Amino acid sequence: MAPLGYVEILDAKGNVTERVRIDSFPVQVGRAYGNHVVVNDPYVCPVHLAIESDESGRLFARDLESVNGLRGGVDGDRVSVLELHSGAPFRIGRTLLRFCSVDQTLAPTLIDRQTQASWLASSYAAPIAGLIILLLLCLDSFLGSVERVTVAKVVSEPLMTLSMLLGWAGLWALASRIVVSRFHFAEHVAIACSAIFGFLVLSTLSEWLEFFFPVIPALWMAGFLGSGVILAALVYGHLGRASAMRRRSRLWAALLVSGAAIGLSLIIDFANRSKFSNVMEYTGIVKPIDAAWLPSTSVNQFMENTEKLKKELDLLAQKARSTQP
Amino acid sequence: MKRNVAIAVLLFWLSTGALPSRLWAQAIKATPEIFKQFSEHVVKIEVVETGSAAKASVGTGFFASARGDIVTNYHVVSKLIHSADRYRVEVTEPSGQSSPAKVLGVDVVYDLAVLRTDRHPKGFLTLETKPVEQGTRLYSLGHPRDLGLTIVEGTYNGLLRHTLYPKVHFTGSLNPGMSGGPTLTHAGTVIGVNVATEGEQISFLVPAERALALLEKTARVENRPGNGFLAEVGEQIQANQARYLSGMFSSKTPSISFGPYTLPTKPTDFFHCWADAVRRKELPYVAVTHDCSTDDYIFVSSEQSSGIVRFYHQLLSTAELYPPQFFNLYSAQVQAGNTAVFGNEEEVTPFRCQTRNVQTQTGKVKAVLCARQYVKLPGLYDAVFRVATLGATNVGLVSTLNLSGVSFENIEALSRRYMESIKWRR
Repeated sequence: MAPLGYVEILDAKGNVTERVRIDSFPVQVGRAYGNHVVVNDPYVCPVHLAIESDESGRLFARDLESVNGLRGGVDGDRVSVLELHSGAPFRIGRTLLRFCSVDQTLAPTLIDRQTQASWLASSYAAPIAGLIILLLLCLDSFLGSVERVTVAKVVSEPLMTLSMLLGWAGLWALASRIVVSRFHFAEHVAIACSAIFGFLVLSTLSEWLEFFFPVIPALWMAGFLGSGVILAALVYGHLGRASAMRRRSRLWAALLVSGAAIGLSLIIDFANRSKFSNVMEYTGIVKPIDAAWLPSTSVNQFMENTEKLKKELDLLAQKARSTQP
Repeated sequence: MKRNVAIAVLLFWLSTGALPSRLWAQAIKATPEIFKQFSEHVVKIEVVETGSAAKASVGTGFFASARGDIVTNYHVVSKLIHSADRYRVEVTEPSGQSSPAKVLGVDVVYDLAVLRTDRHPKGFLTLETKPVEQGTRLYSLGHPRDLGLTIVEGTYNGLLRHTLYPKVHFTGSLNPGMSGGPTLTHAGTVIGVNVATEGEQISFLVPAERALALLEKTARVENRPGNGFLAEVGEQIQANQARYLSGMFSSKTPSISFGPYTLPTKPTDFFHCWADAVRRKELPYVAVTHDCSTDDYIFVSSEQSSGIVRFYHQLLSTAELYPPQFFNLYSAQVQAGNTAVFGNEEEVTPFRCQTRNVQTQTGKVKAVLCARQYVKLPGLYDAVFRVATLGATNVGLVSTLNLSGVSFENIEALSRRYMESIKWRR
């Protein structure tokens, strides 16, 4: 025989903690073990409530002269009889209950995005990502060396980076094992590799931009923001594997972490800037390209611009003079 | 008749056999005599910190006029010039008599100062502007390391050649503390004022005529507030740089060929140029350097000197490195040396820089101009102007011009002329 419906016991957040199948009415609810629905709540009477149906099939909850009574909704007024609608909660003691009939409409099925991001989960992803990163780092190390080098020298530093990356992924895998009972090690490796790839792209891009447009001070800010975005993506990705957090809360957590990291480095940067130093701050980056491609100013323009430099220095000197006795 | 008398006199002198020794005795006194005769005009100068009443620096000076003007070095009293409220000057005569002194005038470029006390001197030393012969014996007086008044023998070796500011080359050992003391001939005329040493008997004197000029300027000055000198120091440096930098790096500047580059070298006689190359077998590139600099810095304070012009070309080339590798090396070279050795918050502002890719007559360069201003001497700046040539893949030139204690107009003018004097074949 098909059931008539279910009485559901809810927790404070509205999640179902227990579900009792109902085959006939009336149903008796209370703390005593003789009830159909047994509620573990010291504020509920041994026999607290009855759920009955009338001839037309409407359902009512009746308070059986309990101490703390029956309330409609989450914090409604005390009533002795309450008409029940499928899915609408009511309260006895400190417990929320609801009755759901078998034809209760349901929320649409959620799409599981965790299993959908399948390239990360595939068994090739981690080794391929690792290999690509290793090759890129080796290339970077080779192009960065200006002495005659051996293969061992070129490879050693990238290998070091890669092993640190594996350690990092390992820590996240451990966290995953503790929280969601699975390691997801390969996926953590692939995520970390993506982040390193992001940083490599960002640094190359910003070097070229700095070379092309040495005048734009926003580049420095863009670099900061770029790193922030990559860091947020990294945390977001790792949390996706290492926790049961929803997307929105993962996003917040990721933004929080990267915001904190950026904020901290901005503060340190600012503290360093306000200290006096004899360092001339400019970027000396030059790149091997045909000079024809390079945007440039005339000698006259360069010299005219120095007025701005002079004004800046005059302001600094004025400030310094005013602070001295 | 006259001739006969002369011969008779000569014969008389010869017969007595006294001529050589008597003449010698009259002409060249022994060092102890010189010391005895002239040391009373030489004084010890102490700069005393008023708070602790302890001496901050010690030097030497000498009476140089009947008014009681004392000539010494600017650098001996520079602390007072910079913080008149924190220091005072005390002059101690050989008799042990101490008295406070005030500064009447300074010449920061030649490192001279004139002081005066309330005491009237017994006498003074005269300054001699006529040149003496090379090899003439000279005697230098002073208080080396505060060990008491000392006399040092040496020889006159002419004026230094190829210097921005004339200096007497004195072959004798000057030591710290003797600064500001006189160097005399046996007759007691002052040839120069002790100012610097390079060790091993190589010492330098400020020519007496500079001291005379300053004495003339201060002759009518009776009293001057101690805090008014900084502005004058600034003006003197300003006027001096305007004079010696005008026209530097004009189109008449000699040039050298450096690979495909034509570069400026030795703009005037007072520059000294050196060249060096790194061609080590284990390095896959060659670095050649050409470095020119003036020697004559101006002492501004113990924290700051000024007035040096230096420029250097660094040519990097490779036959082995791939372009990205070479440009990593090249970038590092463009960035290298971006920290000034001297400078603190009280003396200078931090640097500010301007970087651009610039189209010059022959091609494109990365140009960086960094400058800072002197806090206590408004209108004077230090600057570093750096140019890196672009376009080639296996050769690059980083050329740097360092200026110190110059006006901003001169920074602009010299940077412009410097950039225009760098040319290359493509």
